[in-house]
Amino acid sequence: MNYILHLLIYFNIYAIIAISLNMVVGYTNLLSLAHAGYYAIGCYTYALVTIKLNMGFLPALVLAVFIAALMSLAISLPAWRFKGDFFVLVSLSVQVFLYSLFYNWVSSDSGIDTIGTLKNLTNGPYGIPGIPKPSILSIKFDSIGMIFILSSVLLGICLVISWNLLKSPWGRLLKGIRDDELLARNIGKNVRLAKIQVIAIACGMASAAGTVYASYISYIDPSSASLDDSILFLCMVLVGGVGNFRGPIVGAAVLLLIPEMLRFLSIPDSIAANVRLLLYGLLLVLVVRLRPQGIAGEYRVE
Amino acid sequence: MQVIINGLISGMVISVLALGFNAVYLPSRIFFIALGGIYAITPFVAWACLQYKLPLGVALLVAVLAAMVLSMANEFFIHSPLEKKNKKVSPGAHLISSLGIYIIVIQVIAIVWGSETKVLREGIDGIFKVGTLIITKSQAISGIMSFFLIAAFLTWLKNNKLGILFKALSDNPTELALRGYNIKTLRLFAFGLSGFLTAIASLFTAYETGFDPYVGMSAFLLAVVATIVGGQKTFIGPIIGGILIGMIRSQVVWHFSARWQDAFTFLILVIFLYLRPYGIAGSKARLESR
Repeated sequence: MNYILHLLIYFNIYAIIAISLNMVVGYTNLLSLAHAGYYAIGCYTYALVTIKLNMGFLPALVLAVFIAALMSLAISLPAWRFKGDFFVLVSLSVQVFLYSLFYNWVSSDSGIDTIGTLKNLTNGPYGIPGIPKPSILSIKFDSIGMIFILSSVLLGICLVISWNLLKSPWGRLLKGIRDDELLARNIGKNVRLAKIQVIAIACGMASAAGTVYASYISYIDPSSASLDDSILFLCMVLVGGVGNFRGPIVGAAVLLLIPEMLRFLSIPDSIAANVRLLLYGLLLVLVVRLRPQGIAGEYRVE
Repeated sequence: MQVIINGLISGMVISVLALGFNAVYLPSRIFFIALGGIYAITPFVAWACLQYKLPLGVALLVAVLAAMVLSMANEFFIHSPLEKKNKKVSPGAHLISSLGIYIIVIQVIAIVWGSETKVLREGIDGIFKVGTLIITKSQAISGIMSFFLIAAFLTWLKNNKLGILFKALSDNPTELALRGYNIKTLRLFAFGLSGFLTAIASLFTAYETGFDPYVGMSAFLLAVVATIVGGQKTFIGPIIGGILIGMIRSQVVWHFSARWQDAFTFLILVIFLYLRPYGIAGSKARLESR
């Protein structure tokens, strides 16, 4: 039972990320490889403010979303000018930069109690242990079931937000930018503002997913911000499909279930992780070749 | 001085790699991420050959050939059919499938040969002393060989018929096709060339510092940064960019720490993308229109 709940929590987290990345990839056609960085910003913000400032879950969540949305300017301002391969490169630079930041913001003579000071903000490769379980008002979310409920509620909120946004005129403007940016600009739409908004919202959502992850695992290290994770997130939306709501959720489920199925095959532990990644790569190649719109998607990333 | 020499030598190796990237990117506009996989697999092939007691020369030759074949297989099985299927050019699709190939290659290496760091040479490297400078033997080999390789490549580009055709393909593939040349074969050749250059750069680095399956991505990204910094419309650009990046990286190691190398490299990339997106050697053109 706990195993299924564990899977469902992961599914909720991945689904939030996939929905948010869908808004960027599927509605503005910008392939962002920086999403894991923003996800990790959420993790770290939550970890630091709950340990250092004793904040509750809700203020920490709001702060994490706000910081990620602010930092998202690092990829949304370049999105004014760059498209295609060059935007991928810029987002990759942001990703590498964030990762180096998390990895290197550590001083050599640091103990566990200096975490969060300016000299040793992230504790580098050793990570931050002992992140408290979330609590809202006086309800404590300390069991796996309660965290499942919390993550489901968060997923529900994110779904409602992105559903309402994307069905609104603003969502249609995004589709317009995706299909013909010049035309959207021609009829007097503020394309740049729309790009900043959508990327900020998406990064904020990824950050929210990060807070749930940090509070569930209660330990966080820079590997959550690694390029592999960014590729995994991109893989989710591309395999599932972009441009509608089913796609990313299907993608999150597929990419979560495939490695779990491998668990039941008799593959030696030493190569299990490699086989999992190998399948991700294979999925990417096959999807682009056979079904460019993804399993359940609408729009072809080209 | 020592720092500058080190930077120059590593910069030359980056230049060779950047030429490998540009050899595919210019003719086909394919963002060839799988190059990172080729970069990673080459020393492993050489290493496996050494395990079968083959002489070093044969092992290196086999590795380079394997890299070329792998690179051409990419074009043959992935990019060429994609191009045929989607009539209009779709850089995103190429990029994503190339990323997929990269992941597959890396994971296959890790499954077959394990992910530990391996070395090609045995024992400690010999050194030369020139005045106060200390240059290791492998550094000297890779510096001199890269220099000659780059020189040979540029001469070939200028004087050989195939080289001129290749330059034309990089400049304007559509026009070349209209003039009746078979650009399919030429593109296949471009991929082979790219694999060759990548394999050479990879073997130099592997011989000097050792290798593991995950070196591919960072090396590939260095090549891309070098290409963009230098200017991607020419073949001179990546060479200048590579040397510049190599120098800057060794300065970063000298003044800060090796851990900040990547962050600095990408800082340079972003600065260049904003202020001079056509690169040092490129002529003025907007990137976004491509």
